[in-house]
Amino acid sequence: MLDEEGSHKLLMGNEAVARGAIEAGVHVAVGYPGTPSTEVIETLSRYAEQAGMHVEWAVNEKVAFDIGAGVSYGGARCLVTMKSAGLNVASDSIVSVAYGDLVGGLVIYVADDPGLHAGMEEEDSRVFAALSLLPMLDVSDSQESKDAVVKAFEYSEQHSVPVIVRSTSRVAHGKSPVETGPIQKVPRKPHLARDISVFTRASPVWCKQQHTRLIEKTKALVPSVETDFNRLKMKKGQRHGVVASGVSWNYLMDALSRHGVDVATLKIGSVNPLPVNQLRELIGQVDRLLAVEELEPYIELRIKAMVADTDRKVKVLGKQDGTLPSVGEYDYDLVEEAVLKLTGGEKRCDDELAARQAEASSLAPRRSLPFCPGCPHRGSYIALNQAIKELGYKQDEVIVTGDIGCTILGMHPPFNSCWNEVSMGASIGVTIGLKQAGVENPVVATIGDSTFFHAGMPPAVNAAWGDTPVVIAVLDNEITGMTGHQPNPASGYNALRKPVPRIKIEEILGAAGIKKIKVVDPFDLEESKEAFKEALQHDGPSAIVLRRMCALVARRQRLTGPPSHVDGEKCTGCLHCVRTLSCPAMEIREGKMEINQNTCEGCGLCAQICPFQAIEGGDQ
Amino acid sequence: MVKEHNILISSVGGQGGITLSRVIANAAMIQGLNIRVGETLGMAQRGGAVQSHVRLGEDAHGSIIPSGGADVLLALEPSEAARVSKYLGSQTRVIINTAPTYPIPVMLGQAAYPSLDEITGALEAIGCEIFVVDASRIARETEAPRSLNIAVLGAYMALSEAVLTEDTVKESLRKTLPARYLEQNLRAYEGGRQALAI
Ligand SMILES: Cc1ncc(C[n+]2csc(CCOP(=O)(O)OP(=O)(O)O)c2C)c(N)n1
Ligand code: SF4
Ligand code: SF4
Repeated sequence: MLDEEGSHKLLMGNEAVARGAIEAGVHVAVGYPGTPSTEVIETLSRYAEQAGMHVEWAVNEKVAFDIGAGVSYGGARCLVTMKSAGLNVASDSIVSVAYGDLVGGLVIYVADDPGLHAGMEEEDSRVFAALSLLPMLDVSDSQESKDAVVKAFEYSEQHSVPVIVRSTSRVAHGKSPVETGPIQKVPRKPHLARDISVFTRASPVWCKQQHTRLIEKTKALVPSVETDFNRLKMKKGQRHGVVASGVSWNYLMDALSRHGVDVATLKIGSVNPLPVNQLRELIGQVDRLLAVEELEPYIELRIKAMVADTDRKVKVLGKQDGTLPSVGEYDYDLVEEAVLKLTGGEKRCDDELAARQAEASSLAPRRSLPFCPGCPHRGSYIALNQAIKELGYKQDEVIVTGDIGCTILGMHPPFNSCWNEVSMGASIGVTIGLKQAGVENPVVATIGDSTFFHAGMPPAVNAAWGDTPVVIAVLDNEITGMTGHQPNPASGYNALRKPVPRIKIEEILGAAGIKKIKVVDPFDLEESKEAFKEALQHDGPSAIVLRRMCALVARRQRLTGPPSHVDGEKCTGCLHCVRTLSCPAMEIREGKMEINQNTCEGCGLCAQICPFQAIEGGDQ
Repeated sequence: MVKEHNILISSVGGQGGITLSRVIANAAMIQGLNIRVGETLGMAQRGGAVQSHVRLGEDAHGSIIPSGGADVLLALEPSEAARVSKYLGSQTRVIINTAPTYPIPVMLGQAAYPSLDEITGALEAIGCEIFVVDASRIARETEAPRSLNIAVLGAYMALSEAVLTEDTVKESLRKTLPARYLEQNLRAYEGGRQALAI
């Protein structure tokens, strides 16, 4: 990561972004984990000390961006990272900071997820460029990812405006060669000079001026982006053109080199401002133009608007005429077919081969995602389900709202616990609403620790304030599990793995005004079940913190117990344990349960539920 | 100069598919080839299906192999070979590790799992050439229990048209993997290579 200029490295897109930050002499990097953006801060945290950079995880993306704004106002360079959903959370601040000026360079890295590799929504962050009016670069591979970050800091300081670098899963997690550039030493500047006409939004007169200036700042970047990030290749007489951005550009290059078709191409590397002069030149010559971009028809619509402003007739192919989809990620085949449609070629379809491929794939069994062996959430959901049953309810009579993270895996069989999933922290607000709507039976919110710190605290205050009888179950595994185990305030260490005091969720809940709070160990089913039963019967807001370290983190720290054993004599082969717990460490041999000694973490849940006491283990 | 060579690695989380792609990509890097790697991370830790696309050569632009375009499939688990059939064609040479990893519904008899014959039959119908290797056993027998991925790499290197050279692959093993496991990995590599050596 700290190699000198001119080295050739194979880097993941996110590693290249990290290298870009190092080359740009970034002073502070801050983010909130979210696939596929997480590896930027993870990479930087490993080199922070050597590079003299301050690196930290924030509790959410808005806080991360606010820190970034503060760094900039303080005269230093800051990179802020997040996934697309995080941009929604940070947007309130971003739209405001955009209006003012900056001091140090401020760059936001946001990674989208076309194709939904990580679940959630297929949100197209490029649309946010139109909303916020901010400059936005869009990258296709690791080299561009690195270069974009370095340039974005230059633009940001030259024009005193935050710049967004946008990537997507395939680029952020794909690897390709990178040639490194020089590592700059950027001096810190003096902090902002007090000027409320620039740094507040308090007066409509100032705000209008700020709005006008923002539009001018972004527009002023056109000449730079046209040379730095957009490439027009057009020969005289070419009647067909393709405009492509992001990962689609690579598929286009594959298709052109395989088919040798003769088309003009425009690579779009800046979403805002678009390379309007190059687009105009292209529109001025070709008769048919294909726009290849994943998700929304962002560029396509702009092209159509530009065509409408001319007296030329240009047929634009893209999403609106059904040539390409706006759902899912693109691949070679989609782009190839679109190119051939543009040029009037025919795609050779081997239906017989396709049928054989489909038949072979259909043989593969589904692999759903269970909780890991020894996952504490398994205990939490079993205890919750048992409590619901013992109080005389059926499972479909008690609504359990889910939240983001490994905790949501409780929606799957055999637990079938969670009923819905909205966004970070929403589980708690939704339970309050269910109660206000008149739901009489108890309602339970399940939420992870990182998610609680992110957006679960305000609705907890709301529940206490309104004295609404909801059960808040915080499944505290002391880590941000789903995104690959980043520390959060419950972990007791920071992004650099340095020990810091733990922040106790029960203390926050208490300070929020919730009177009934219990802390339990989800590996102790009896204790956890009793806590749920009490809470479910309580007539005010209540909370349970189910605390036990994530199994994968515990394994790495060698804190998991010895594996459990099945006594083959006592095991009747009823398989109650497999059906109830669905633990991947369980194997079935000759009708009886056996425990894989390499993967079992010795949590002891199976020993607690075996009706025949055939399992020994769980003495951690 | 290599124009285009597409290697697909298909595995179940925890089998080392991602590590294998790193070893191959680093070997190609040492060899000075152009490289594109496409991976879906995230599900790798939890026993989900994991695929790595490693594309080598001047004409590799996108990080995902065009459908039907794999030159080699390294399947660390039999049903995972079937899952990625979209990328296979009559030119594809397939190396399959024979040891299955069953999902829980299969263990409970609620879902079906294909026999090895069904899988190889379906891939032969596509026109693939198939090499079956008990890489899990090789890993056990060479006392390298966690190196079935490297045993499969050894088998791949025994194929005559492997684009990488033995030297660069071994150098990559040294550079990419923790030094304390190098001996084990070299044993597994050799075991896999001999299993397919003619
Ligand atoms: C706004 C937003 N930011 C980030 C994410 C990515 N993300 C998915 S789950 C998760 C956190 C899960 O951590 P935790 O709440 O501790 O639950 P665990 O996975 O550990 O059970 C995050 C950050 C997201 N989905 N939405
Ligand atoms: S990563 Fe941790 S929290 Fe997530 S399922 Fe595995 S053990 Fe549970
Ligand atoms: S003790 Fe039982 S439930 Fe816990 S990890 Fe081992 S097999 Fe799974």
